[in-house]
Amino acid sequence: MSPTAFDPAADYPVGVKRPDLLRTPTGKPISELTMQNVVSGEVRPEDLRIAPDTLRIQAEVADASGRPQLGQNFRRAAELIPVSDERVLQMYNALRPHASTKEQLLAIAQELESGYGGAATGALVREAAEVYERRGLLAEPGA
Amino acid sequence: MSSLPYPEAPQPRRSLRTEVLENRPVNKDGFVQEWPEVGMVAMDSDFDPRPSIRIENGRVAEMDGRERADFDFLDQFIADHAIDVDAAVEAMALGPRTVARMLVDPNVSRAEVLRTARGLTPAALLETVRQMNIVEIMMGMQKMRARRTPANQAHCTSARDNPLQVAMEAAEASLRGFSELETTLGVVRYAPLVAIALQVGGQVGRGGRLTQCALEEATELDLGMRGITAYAETISVYGTESVFVDGDDTPWSKAFLAAAYASRGIKMRFTSGTGSEVQMGNAEGRSMLYLEIRCILVTKGAGVQGLQNGSISCIGVPGAVPGGIRAVAAENMIASMLDLECASGNDQSFSHSPMRRTSRLMPQIMAGTDFVCSGYSSTPNYDNMFAGSNVDAEDYDDWNAIQRDYQIDGGLQHVGEPEILAARSRAGYALQAVFAHLDLPAITEREIETAVYAHGSNDLIPRDVLEDLKGAQSVMDRGVTGLDLVKALHERGFADIAENLLTVLRSRVSGDLLQTSAILDANLEPLSAVNDANDYAGPGTGYRPTGERWEQMKRLRHVTSAENPELEVS
Repeated sequence: MSPTAFDPAADYPVGVKRPDLLRTPTGKPISELTMQNVVSGEVRPEDLRIAPDTLRIQAEVADASGRPQLGQNFRRAAELIPVSDERVLQMYNALRPHASTKEQLLAIAQELESGYGGAATGALVREAAEVYERRGLLAEPGA
Repeated sequence: MSSLPYPEAPQPRRSLRTEVLENRPVNKDGFVQEWPEVGMVAMDSDFDPRPSIRIENGRVAEMDGRERADFDFLDQFIADHAIDVDAAVEAMALGPRTVARMLVDPNVSRAEVLRTARGLTPAALLETVRQMNIVEIMMGMQKMRARRTPANQAHCTSARDNPLQVAMEAAEASLRGFSELETTLGVVRYAPLVAIALQVGGQVGRGGRLTQCALEEATELDLGMRGITAYAETISVYGTESVFVDGDDTPWSKAFLAAAYASRGIKMRFTSGTGSEVQMGNAEGRSMLYLEIRCILVTKGAGVQGLQNGSISCIGVPGAVPGGIRAVAAENMIASMLDLECASGNDQSFSHSPMRRTSRLMPQIMAGTDFVCSGYSSTPNYDNMFAGSNVDAEDYDDWNAIQRDYQIDGGLQHVGEPEILAARSRAGYALQAVFAHLDLPAITEREIETAVYAHGSNDLIPRDVLEDLKGAQSVMDRGVTGLDLVKALHERGFADIAENLLTVLRSRVSGDLLQTSAILDANLEPLSAVNDANDYAGPGTGYRPTGERWEQMKRLRHVTSAENPELEVS
């Protein structure tokens, strides 16, 4: 059986119509997330997270249903999957007003871009750095 | 002068009619005059900008009379992320009256309105709804709501943060039809136990209800990442830069947070509402609705699927000014018009007057929204830890009668007492089993028996709060996850509830609940604006309760049999 191409306009819910395309971040097919495998301990908490490819599939669904911003959010989200929970919250806190200098924000953008292949999230942080500078929302250096 | 009949200044004589009116509940409500200079005005202010747009090199160079160099951060975020520059010039040229007519005209499709709306500036959206009276706004809501099938959300809280009560309220709310269940706490440290209770209760019976625990962002995200909750909605945005900064956020920090939620597979919506800026003391002289429109556009630009709006916790502010409740309905409609899921308020104590409380609901329950209430108190109001809701457990039968009177679907149905008692009991035993399995403070038979038949927390056997809080801490310390709950339920003989919870967790892996307006249907499959898109196109089209659903809605607590007037059917 040859794999069928994904049709973002027709294959939603993906978990119902195209479970063959979905895997956990640990590489298990979603069909293996059964009660039997939970009870036996084969399914671990990290198996119940979303994978970057899944978010890119959902981004295609969002685009096909005329929601480009939602699709873009899913693409940014795909980039954040490998970033640890703790680091994600630190980055969020760094983006609060008066929390970071421009250099600190640019360093986060750099970390996202080079550490995680995060072009879209990096761009969002770079844009924030520019706006915060113009609107006086950066932290005072050395403060 | 002692001969005068009135030694003090005489009071003008009052009629008995006036006395009766003075004592009506509505006169305990606050009403104030408009004061546009400080933003104490619903939607008609000379201080709001006039619509305009100029595009240069594919970018917004000027918007609503402000040059790009002078944009505050909301202007910039909206111009660069929310407005479709390819659609803007044509959409703006239509003018507000034409766009308003498109919203009402059944011959103009939802898709056509969406194509126009994406090119409109905040002031143009405001001018559009200013053309519309409340019935026209409701017609707009009916057509523009994202999901075809309306739904509802419940608040399941306890004045004592009693997890057993929350589990039972969740099970009952699920049975009564609520698709989402939200809780919050009096004592925040109770959160892990109450969130577990909500999650277990929401999977009893039909199950598949999505749960949320409203807390500060880091804890809320943490519970979501563990799979103890399924979605989040208390991510607030504001319509002025100064209030946004006072809230310690920016559109960029919130957009980042939105991506963070999606990266963990968690459904999320933002929250905003008319009146928040003036309540927080800096409306920058704009009307409440103009500022709310900026919030809606920030949500759109951030790529968030939906918004909880309709003034929410600030409802007293628009509720006090002329045309305020019309503006609240308008903000719901604009969220829908921008293709966002709308959880449409009706969720906060609003008026002392039963008539005003009901009137408040009418636009949303009649037109239908993605979640008519966000939410409806599933407890008596004294147990509602969101400071009370507009509707509560004591209004269930009234709500069901209103649905039946008008054949409108507010998401609920009458359920007979035996079924409710059975669901409450099962939720109690399931939570007892989970607590035992996780070595948390025991839940006794007597506690369960009492809670099954209780109305509110006053009727319950008090818990040992200190022991519970130690247990709650250990849930966090041990890193208990949703998967542990599944195992506990399965191993202790609650296989069906375990299976339902596993299905909810699996839907995170598929990402299907991240799409706009997603809930789980009766088969626990995702139902969203993608596979249940609103297809309203005038009379005879769109969602109408019919067939089995209408039969279900016809049942009330007391309905006289047609064959035998001595007999009641229910």
